[in-house]
Amino acid sequence: MSSAPMGAAITGGTTAAREHVMTVRDAHKTYEGRGVPVHALRGVDLDIDTGSFTCLIGPSGHGKSTLLHLLGGLDRPSSGSVTVLGEHIERMSDAQLARFRAHRIGFVFQFFNLLKGLTVAENVQLAMSFAGASAREQRSRTDELLASVGLSAKRDARANELSGGQMQRVAIARALANDPEVLLLDEPTGNLDSASESEVLGILDGLHAEGRTIVMVTHSLEIAARAERIVEVHDGRVLA
Amino acid sequence: MNDFKLVVRNLLGSRSRFALTLVGITLGITSLVVMMSLGAGLRAQIDKQAADLGANLIVTPKGWCAYEQVKVLSGTQLPDAIPAEDLAAIEQLEGIRVLPYLTVGSAIDNEPVPVTGIRMDETVASKRWSLAEGEVPQAEEALEVLAGAAVADSFGLAVGDALTLRGATFTVAGVLEAAGTGDDGVLFIPLAAAQKVYETDGRISFAAVQVDDLDAVDLAAQRITDAANVAVVSDRQLLASVLSVVNTVSTTLRIIAAVAVLTAAFGIVNTMLMATFERRREIGIMKSIGSSNARIFRTFMAEAATYGVVGGLIGLAVGTGVSRLLTPLIAQNEFTAFVGGARVDAVPPLADMALILGGAVVVATLAGVYPAWRAARLTPVEAISYE
Repeated sequence: MSSAPMGAAITGGTTAAREHVMTVRDAHKTYEGRGVPVHALRGVDLDIDTGSFTCLIGPSGHGKSTLLHLLGGLDRPSSGSVTVLGEHIERMSDAQLARFRAHRIGFVFQFFNLLKGLTVAENVQLAMSFAGASAREQRSRTDELLASVGLSAKRDARANELSGGQMQRVAIARALANDPEVLLLDEPTGNLDSASESEVLGILDGLHAEGRTIVMVTHSLEIAARAERIVEVHDGRVLA
Repeated sequence: MNDFKLVVRNLLGSRSRFALTLVGITLGITSLVVMMSLGAGLRAQIDKQAADLGANLIVTPKGWCAYEQVKVLSGTQLPDAIPAEDLAAIEQLEGIRVLPYLTVGSAIDNEPVPVTGIRMDETVASKRWSLAEGEVPQAEEALEVLAGAAVADSFGLAVGDALTLRGATFTVAGVLEAAGTGDDGVLFIPLAAAQKVYETDGRISFAAVQVDDLDAVDLAAQRITDAANVAVVSDRQLLASVLSVVNTVSTTLRIIAAVAVLTAAFGIVNTMLMATFERRREIGIMKSIGSSNARIFRTFMAEAATYGVVGGLIGLAVGTGVSRLLTPLIAQNEFTAFVGGARVDAVPPLADMALILGGAVVVATLAGVYPAWRAARLTPVEAISYE
């Protein structure tokens, strides 16, 4: 399902040698919007390779985020199958999906989505607590993660006291809290200035270099060009 | 990060709403504590007063209702309704000892004071009163007063002081030790003197009767009603009669308090529903990073229960304080004269306090069920997409 839409070139390109960490087959997603069904996805097929860096691009409202939500187990397909890390998302119960998200997936959102009443460290630790980490583990891992995103000094600051770039770095630290195999990012730089954008993208490059699988939704072709692979989502379909 | 910390942060995230909701549950629990304290205090005092009467039977005029029977215990003024010949007829019966009471009223410095005519030695012995100072008046028609501790304290009465009752000058012969009953608020004068000064023509208000053979109490009651045109109630009947009135009042007070608690519970429902609505995005974030529905449910339930715990504890403390402050004020009427006449322990028993606190937590937790369920069932995408 690789594609090189909008004239963008595929960067990297070692997909053939790797296993699929995510497989989507004929996935449909339909919402009820004011009595009228809204077809967000219309038969998506997609394979994502282990350790790859993939960007989903396409116009707003055409299904990129919906596809990302399915890949992360935030939602189930109306029909079709979504297999992530060997687990069938569509067959999992709410509790199983919650465990799956806690242990195996890391999410980063455009608007950071930090809990503003909590400190930087608490935001990171909260994700670990959902995975059952002990208080000691939470503390030591949080220190490591905050150091890795250059925010050790902000450990005890409230999330809402940070700049946009800092918040997004905390969100990345939180997403990595339980050392997930897959990192899903929904427009992570969409709300950042260029300096912060560079910082965040630098971190993502590093994570990719470590071998983590990254799927990122973006509007920016410039950013998408950093990925190994670009997938265009248009009108609820992945363009071949 | 643990659940407790998260709950505290969530609650304190909106301090004013937390405080206002807490005020609601605190007021509810406070009113419950106050009502229960007053009801329990009243009942305890009546029990004590009835025990203090030291009688197995109470002889009253025919036709007295429970309200008038309450007054037997309170020492407040009653009509001089049992004629001398009836009293004489009762006293002639064997196997019983009769303590007649004539309850009248007077005033010192324009403040009403209950005055009771008694047979001094017999009553003092029967009630096991102790003297704080002075002596018990001896002569039957002596114009002397035996003052209860509270009334002596209130009006600064000491042995040798003179006071005027119905135009006659009486002298304080003795002051009683505080007994912790309504007797503390009464001026006792010799029965014969009372009958003379108040011109009752030998009549009394009621009589307490001690029966020698406790197995023959019913028989004694029958003999009394045969001998005189009076009504007889046993101390247990009297107590039951009085308590039935008190219980009616007490139940009403509890219903009012329960409504207050229920109102507070709806306040919690409202607050938690608002929190669910306002924190939809937060719920979505938590779910997206791995929180289960059960954990979201637990967090919201814990927040609701916290209102119960904190509101309950504050309510218990405030309620106890308010009870202590209000008891003497509320007690200033005839019906609750027992409470006013003596110190009432306004702190509810520990078991009641535990029950109130437990009830507050249960009510608050139940109030949290629906909002918590609503929060838990939000889908992550629905919640996270909320702006």
